[in-house]
Amino acid sequence: MLQFVLSGLAIGAIYGLMGMALAISFYVTRVINFAQGQMMMVAIMIVSALTAADISPWLSVLIGLVCACVVAVLSYVLAVRPILAFDRFSFGWLVSTLGFAVVVENAAAYVWGPTSRAFPPILNDISVPIGDSVLTAQQLLAIGAAIVLTAAFELIRKRTLFGKLGMAIAADPEMASAIGANTTAVAIVAFALSGLFAGVAGVLIGPSTFANPYLGDTFGTYGFIAMMIGGGTEKPAAAMFGGLLLGVLAEGANATINSQASDWFPFLVLVVILIVSPRGLFSSGSALLRLRPARLAPGRPVAG
Amino acid sequence: MSEAPALQVSSLFAGYGRFDVVRDIGFRVEQGEAVGLLGPNGAGKTTVLRAIMGLVKHRRGTIRVGDADVSALPPHRIARGLAAIAPEGRRLFLDQSVEDNLMLGAFHLRRDRNRVQELLESVYALFPVLRNYRTRRSSFLSGGEQQMVAIGRMLMSDPEILLLDEPSEALSPVAVDNVVRALIELRRRGASLLLVEQRVDVAIRLCDRLYIMTHGEIVDEMNPETVRQEGLGIINKYLG
Amino acid sequence: MKDRMDGSRGQISLSAGVPTGRLAPVRRARGAIFVAAYLVLTYGIAQSSLNLQALALVAAVFSILAISLDLVAGMLGLYSLGQGGFFAIGAYLTTIVAAQYEVSVFWLLPAVLVVTGVSGALIGAMSLRVSGLYFAITTFVFTLVLTVLATDLSITGGLQGLLGPAFPDFPDSLAPLGTPVAWCVMLALLVAIALVWNIRRSPFYPVLLAIRDAEPFAEAAGVRTAVIKVGVFGLSAAMAGAAGWLFSFLGVVSPGQFDWAVSLNILVMVLVGGINTTLGPIVGAMFVTMFPAVVNIDPWLQEILYGALSIFAITMFPEGVVGLAKRRLAALLKPMARETAAAETPMAAPQVARTVEADGAPIVECRGIEFGYGVGPKVLRNVDLVVRRGHIHGLIGPNGSGKSTLANIIAGRLRPQAGNVLIKGVPVTGQAPSERARLGMRRTFQAAQLVRELPTSRNVMVGLYNGVPRIVRRAPVWPLLPSGHRDAASMLARAEQALRAVGAGNWVDARVGDVPHGIEQLTQLASVRVAGPEIIVLDEPATGLSMSEVDHLARLLGQLKAQGVTMIIIEHQTRFLFPLCDQVTVLNAGEVILTSTAEAVRADPTVRQIYLGEG
Repeated sequence: MLQFVLSGLAIGAIYGLMGMALAISFYVTRVINFAQGQMMMVAIMIVSALTAADISPWLSVLIGLVCACVVAVLSYVLAVRPILAFDRFSFGWLVSTLGFAVVVENAAAYVWGPTSRAFPPILNDISVPIGDSVLTAQQLLAIGAAIVLTAAFELIRKRTLFGKLGMAIAADPEMASAIGANTTAVAIVAFALSGLFAGVAGVLIGPSTFANPYLGDTFGTYGFIAMMIGGGTEKPAAAMFGGLLLGVLAEGANATINSQASDWFPFLVLVVILIVSPRGLFSSGSALLRLRPARLAPGRPVAG
Repeated sequence: MSEAPALQVSSLFAGYGRFDVVRDIGFRVEQGEAVGLLGPNGAGKTTVLRAIMGLVKHRRGTIRVGDADVSALPPHRIARGLAAIAPEGRRLFLDQSVEDNLMLGAFHLRRDRNRVQELLESVYALFPVLRNYRTRRSSFLSGGEQQMVAIGRMLMSDPEILLLDEPSEALSPVAVDNVVRALIELRRRGASLLLVEQRVDVAIRLCDRLYIMTHGEIVDEMNPETVRQEGLGIINKYLG
Repeated sequence: MKDRMDGSRGQISLSAGVPTGRLAPVRRARGAIFVAAYLVLTYGIAQSSLNLQALALVAAVFSILAISLDLVAGMLGLYSLGQGGFFAIGAYLTTIVAAQYEVSVFWLLPAVLVVTGVSGALIGAMSLRVSGLYFAITTFVFTLVLTVLATDLSITGGLQGLLGPAFPDFPDSLAPLGTPVAWCVMLALLVAIALVWNIRRSPFYPVLLAIRDAEPFAEAAGVRTAVIKVGVFGLSAAMAGAAGWLFSFLGVVSPGQFDWAVSLNILVMVLVGGINTTLGPIVGAMFVTMFPAVVNIDPWLQEILYGALSIFAITMFPEGVVGLAKRRLAALLKPMARETAAAETPMAAPQVARTVEADGAPIVECRGIEFGYGVGPKVLRNVDLVVRRGHIHGLIGPNGSGKSTLANIIAGRLRPQAGNVLIKGVPVTGQAPSERARLGMRRTFQAAQLVRELPTSRNVMVGLYNGVPRIVRRAPVWPLLPSGHRDAASMLARAEQALRAVGAGNWVDARVGDVPHGIEQLTQLASVRVAGPEIIVLDEPATGLSMSEVDHLARLLGQLKAQGVTMIIIEHQTRFLFPLCDQVTVLNAGEVILTSTAEAVRADPTVRQIYLGEG
């Protein structure tokens, strides 16, 4: 049993990182970025391509992460900001971020071909026995990275002035701008951060999945489920808990039911949790009140 | 120190859609002056404040704060030391502490730690009760205490002009009194204020001059002394 | 109730400015031409090569899907990503049952409609619990789950899918028409187009938009918004299911054709083509489905181009291609800007014999109302209020005293934590606002709740919803029914009459988004008055009105009182309010300070201190 808990945590770490990536960009802009999975894919493809060209794995990883961040910022500038500038409450970003995802995915397929390529093992070939079970060093790295990044994010969010500014923007963007917050600049940083989280997830899972331009959709979906389960729409760190829980439950289902169960089990979990707690396990009040289309309350203030 | 007025508004037209809510607004607030904007609900007073702060999308005309022309600036630039607003409903960042709210007000000064500390100390000197609540989540404060934090947050950006929108709204008489006394002290320190109020008695205590707005336009200018002598009836004819 | 107040009933005639009657023959000719052209197009498709047919028919099926989504997203504002799921249910149900049992495919259509309609209603019911983005997410998950089921269950053939049933051939006499399935698909599309076209031209349309943009207004007018949302969602799901039924005849039915990407693409079709237009979804569907065929380059480059185009389209044309075209066309055809006329002097409303005397009996009562928002002090504490029939009862108090909350509790928008509200002696605490409308109560809102994109007259028509029978049932076929024309003409005439009676007669065709604030308030008043209510709750009606507009409003309210209407008015402007009121209640910090005549209230020293700021 320890085995599937541990492997579950390892894969859950990946889901959680993807979930947090989505949640971070959502936190500041109230937009779900359908291209999030593609940022993970970009990191994986770049690392694969660079190592194939004999560049050291660690340097490739660095470049891959930077590229993921760049793609993330591009997605904000091209697909999100123009929509929000027009009308903060429209759903047009559903179309534009999806369009962006299509462009990136197919550009990758065009450049690198649709078939899977090799990915450097990084730490995947080292086995670490823990009690009765065995984990690869890569899996341990995944769990470790997830903990470190989540903790770092929460620390920055709650303890630094910049993080508090982010919280202010998430709570009341107009008032935040009225105290001096440049919401565009903060959004760019948030999206870059989301690219980083997605890129790290890619580098961590790459040795197991190999490099394939169509990975983005699958992991983007899992990230989304992790975010919804945990309640990451209100608090990004909750997405990590959602991811870890998801990973453990999926591996558990795999071990106890049958090896196909991890295909459908996550969705069952999601449905159950959404019925019980529509905003996720760790959510509280009404963070989504702002998402109601503004037509009900015309911008003209009443008094004065 | 510049001789330019703290705030100068001329030919301001502003609105949220096809029709302007305020038309041809012009007035000034000299350095160290407190000016009141009175009028019934729906007159456009809040819109004027929001337009000065850059929060109204459709605005034309000239707005100057001190030496700077802010007519086309986005709100976050105006908030950096030019103007600051304590809006209607206070709009604190409720999931954050009192001190966090205050420190966020000084975000653009964050590199100058000494100055930020000075500003923070002066806010606590003005509102001693807040010192006890530094780390308390601001959603747990009473209306009057929240208003103090809102004013403090304004002061932390060290602006040239303070914009207050109905600071007395929904406050108990005691809380209103506290707020008024704090604002009087601020005036003593030389602050320039533009105050929107429904409560004429509050406005008379604080302001050097009063403008009356109805239906989007300024219709009269009055001296508070005149109002005190002739009685509130003189203004009530506008307010109904 | 509906006609006692409005004396216009006997005065309706086509000369009251209603164009419908005279233009009807023109409209019918245009409709006939459209249908004829459509049939010719269908014939062409039915005769063409298999490749071209496949392309056209897939585009047609997706047009139906896009139209079904526009019904809920465009008209009701419920963004759903669930069309893929209902589409899947329709296709798989048809395929599996046709394969397992020897059933004619035509019997399967009603089965599909029922199954998808019911599941659609259930999903639609979720929109009552969660709103906006979360509802979209819920529908998204619904599609995800169905896709996974389709992939993993053996009965659905897994990832490979199943081969759909064959469509029966024409009898020999009809064989020259060409491929039967083409006719079936295209006729189904025609039905779908006709359905939304008819709804758009019926009085139901303003009601739907009111639910989308101004739900409190619709509720206060007596519309059962929850039932309508669920019902329309079910209809939209049934349409998507029918699209699935059709799709099964076109080839293989596999999970990849119904997954979340497909649901998203249907939304793309609607948004890019033009939301809330009849043609927009079709244009969008054609763009998305035909793009790969028309742009025949390297498949990856083609996808990149498609993605780039959709980003471009939605950021440059947020209202969609057809939406933009409509707006440009309207601007070209617009008559010269009308002068901003002042409100007219209202016509003296004809004196109607009252069947119920203003007898001073209590008509609205509040007993012991308590209300709070959880943490913090109570907003209302032990509030008692008695409003007598035929009176104008004012409610004043400083900002934050709880007057608006009390008004919302009386009108049914908020539920008190303790205490009772009685209307005409009937306890109504906890009942929805739409139920209070049935008892003869209407209300206005401080910030006018209206549909900005519709003219004032259409907004006022929403107020007549309760008075005209079977609006919802007739909506899908409205223009075809003679009773439809009659009722629409009569509703429009009454709405315009009501607008003239309040002095907004110059603005009957102007969109609410284009009118000044004062006219918005008058439109609200007209929408309330047109229903002939017994009780009206007015929330700060004088807000933002000019001096002359306020006087005008006072005259209107005086007229209403003369007709025996009871009014509860929340106001700040005492100069306007006091002369009107029989009784005034003063609230402060959630408690009733005093209830008495206006003179007594004005003279009371406590009131003067807390509210008028003197002493």
